[in-house]
Parts: sequence; structure tokens; C-alpha cells
Amino acid sequence: MGAWGFVSLAYGIVCGTLVVYWMFLKRRYRQAEAEVDRLRSSEIIGSDDKI
Amino acid sequence: MTQSKKRKGILGGLALVAVAIGLYWSLAVAPPDAYQGEVQRIMYLHLPSILTAYLSYFLVFIGSGMYLWKREKRDDLLAHAAAELGVLFTALTIIEGSIWGKPTWGVWWTWDARLTLTAILLLIYAGYLMLRSLIDDENRAASAAAILGIIGFLDIPLIHMSVYWWRTLHQPPSILRPDKVPWENVHPAMLTALTISFVGFLLLYFYLLSLRYRVGEMRQEIKALRLERGA
Amino acid sequence: MALLKQTYLLLCKDLLLELRRRDSLLTMFFFGTLLLFVFHFSFDLAPDKIAEMAPALLWLAFLFTGTLGLAQLFQAERENHCLDALLLSPLDRGALFLAKTSFNLILMLLVELVVMPLFWILFNLSAWNLLPQLFLVTLLGTIGFCVLGTIMSALTLRARARELLLPLVLFPLMIPVILATIRCMESVLRHGEFGEAVSWLKLLVGFDVIFITVGVLIFDWVLES
Repeated sequence: MGAWGFVSLAYGIVCGTLVVYWMFLKRRYRQAEAEVDRLRSSEIIGSDDKI
Repeated sequence: MTQSKKRKGILGGLALVAVAIGLYWSLAVAPPDAYQGEVQRIMYLHLPSILTAYLSYFLVFIGSGMYLWKREKRDDLLAHAAAELGVLFTALTIIEGSIWGKPTWGVWWTWDARLTLTAILLLIYAGYLMLRSLIDDENRAASAAAILGIIGFLDIPLIHMSVYWWRTLHQPPSILRPDKVPWENVHPAMLTALTISFVGFLLLYFYLLSLRYRVGEMRQEIKALRLERGA
Repeated sequence: MALLKQTYLLLCKDLLLELRRRDSLLTMFFFGTLLLFVFHFSFDLAPDKIAEMAPALLWLAFLFTGTLGLAQLFQAERENHCLDALLLSPLDRGALFLAKTSFNLILMLLVELVVMPLFWILFNLSAWNLLPQLFLVTLLGTIGFCVLGTIMSALTLRARARELLLPLVLFPLMIPVILATIRCMESVLRHGEFGEAVSWLKLLVGFDVIFITVGVLIFDWVLES
């Protein structure tokens, strides 16, 4: 593997890993956001049953 | 879109621009090194990576300390997010160092001081993340992790000293020592490449940190809402 | 000083319990000896090579034996909510830390006092006159191990997979101690005296002092978790 081969390997792995991590992070972000919105707008269960 | 989301977007955009310019400068503008050749370009990744990792661990330390002192959830969220990113950037540092080492020293791995130290850092903070995930009670997990975050950080200088002593006493000096860069002879374009790369990494780091922090914050809110709603 | 008095009381309690049942002590002792046998079968080396590897093998044996002891450290308190009772009492948490550390230290020292000469005999080593110096190094290293180990043992008290997690978080932090003790012992065995290894000794002492202080100050928060 020539010098540029190693350089591309390094840069490739770094960029690839960061992009993949970012994608997973964005997915966690979206899922959490959706869940928060869902919970905020849902009815409070059992709130009408006041003793 | 909310204000903070917009700000994150701008930060991300800036990071992308800086990284792109950094890539261009590192790969196209900066000349190859006199001794190491093109392979030296990996240093434009390696040095910013390890510095970012150190910054991360410092943030873990601060967050842990503040959490133990004031018990504010946001400090714990910061520590956790910083630890995760720290592990990511440390792993990248090791991979970059290894790839640089193959053409330079002929081996994928060697137990020289810097690689060894970086590997130890990875182990410590991976342990931090494991500790968090294995304790079920959230407040306990936060407290335990905070203690580990502080002790780990305090131990780092001691680990640093011991590994360096060990390696300098036993290892014969190598011809190519990356820490012995003759700064007077460094081409200005190389310095520029390094600086831009570093800025790009920093911006990217803070962008990812803000996202990860927010995820943690939202998870907190989800827990609270679930309790409230009885869902 | 109240701190020392409380430490002494707590320590006596643990020692008394241990004297009656001798669970931990015997297990640690047998495990340490067992490891020596395992090493003998694993490393089929010439006698002089063994002498070179002796410090490392010895320390590995102590590390693993000590980890056993650490896993047991708060066992008595876990049963019957004794830990809660201790926390409710007006005891200085620092005293509890010092007591637990000293307890584990005493156990380990007892085991080491037997295992070291045993190692010398089983592996046909000479240099019996150097044992006191070697023991000093072992003492300092064991102190470091017990100090950090007690903190980590308390931290992981309520974690799942505790037996695996404890060494996982402890060992990377122990690296200065491991390096320092083994290098010191090697130097003593090679030159008959400490020589340049004195800097390693200073590192060990520094490590012990720093983390004993940190432990006493921080143990309040450790136990809350």
C-alpha cells in the first residue's frame, strides 16, 4: 500500500466513523424528540379520577 | 424551528465548512514532509483528535465535580455526553496513530508511550460508560460515574509519568520521533493545515456535544413525563 | 482524633468478623497459592528467566487475589441492610473508608507474607536477603491497590455484573502502581538495592498519599451511590 493508500485509509476511516456516529446521533435525537412530543400532547392517564 | 435548534444547525454548518477547508489544506495545499512523506498528513487528523479527546475528558472532570457539588442534572448530562465523545475521539486517535505507524515504523502497533497512554485513556473512559450503563438507579449511576470521572482524571498525570518513565528507560531512541518536530523548519502551509484542521475538529466536537447533550436532556424529560403521565 | 478512633472501631469489627469465619482470608490465601501453580505450568522457563519474571508474576498473583478480596469487602454490609444502618449513624464516612481500606490491606499483607516466601521456595530463587526490601515495595503497592480498590468496590456495589465491572474500572487506574512496584522489585533483584528505582518509589508514595486523601474526602459521595 503506497503512502497515499495509508493516508486515504486514515482519512476514510475517520470521516466514515464520524459520519456514521453523527447519523446514529441524529436518529437518537429524532426518536427522543418524537417521544417527548408524543408524551407532552397525550392525555394524562387517570387524571379525571380524583378521589 | 426553535432557537437552540437553529443555533445547533449553524454550528454544524460552520463545522462542516471548517472541516472541508481543513481537508483541502491538509491534502492538497500542505507539502509532504521531508522525512515522512505523504504519510505525515495523517498528523493533521491525529493531533486534533487527541487534543479534542483531552478536552472531552477535562469536561467530564468539570461536569463530574460540579455534579457532586451542586447536584444539578445538567452537569451530569455534560459529563456523560463528553465521556461518550471522548471515547469516540480517543478510538479515532488510536486508529490514526496505528495507520501512521505502519509505514513509519513498520508495525501496526507498538507499545510506545503515546499509543499506550491513549489506549489506557480509552479503557478508563470506556469503563466510565460501562459503569453508567450497569447501574440501574439513575441517580446512583450519576454519582458513581462522577466519582470515577474525578478519580480517573486525577490519575491521568500519574499514569502519564509512569508510562513515560517506563518507556524512556527501556526503549532505544527511534529515528523518527514525531514529538521532535523542528518547528523552525516547518513549512507555513503545514502549520495552517494543522490550525484549520484543529478548528474544524473543535467545531465538529462542540456540534456533536450539543446534539448528544440534548439527547440526554430529552431522555430525562421523557422519564419525568412518563412518571407524570403514568404511561 | 475522632476520625482515627472511629476507623479503629470499624476496623476491629471487621477483623473480629473475619477472625471468626476466616472466609476471605482463606480463600485469598488458597487462590494466591493456586495462581503460583498455574504460573508454573504456564511458564516453562529456565530458572534465571523465572528470576527476571518473578516480580511481574508475583504482582499478577497479588492483583487477582486482591480483586477477590475487594469483591467481598462490603459483603457483610450488604446483608441485612447493615450499610444503611452504618450510613444513618453519625460516623465520619472517611473513617469507614480508612477502615475498609485497612481491613483489605491487612488481609492482603497476611496473604503476601506467606505467598512471597512460598514463591521463592517453589521457584528455587535465591536472594532471600532482599525479601525485606521487596516487601517494602509490595507494601506500598498494596496500599495503593487497597485505597483505589475500596473506592471502586463501593462504587460498583449496586451495579450489575459487579464482579466483572470492578476489575474493569480498577485495573487501568492501577497502572502507575503496577509499573512502579514491578520496576522497583526488578531493580532490587538486579542490583541488590533501589538505585535509580527510587523515583518509582517516590511515585508509589505520591500515589498512595494522593488517593488516601481523595478517598477520605470523597467517600461521602461514594456511598450515596
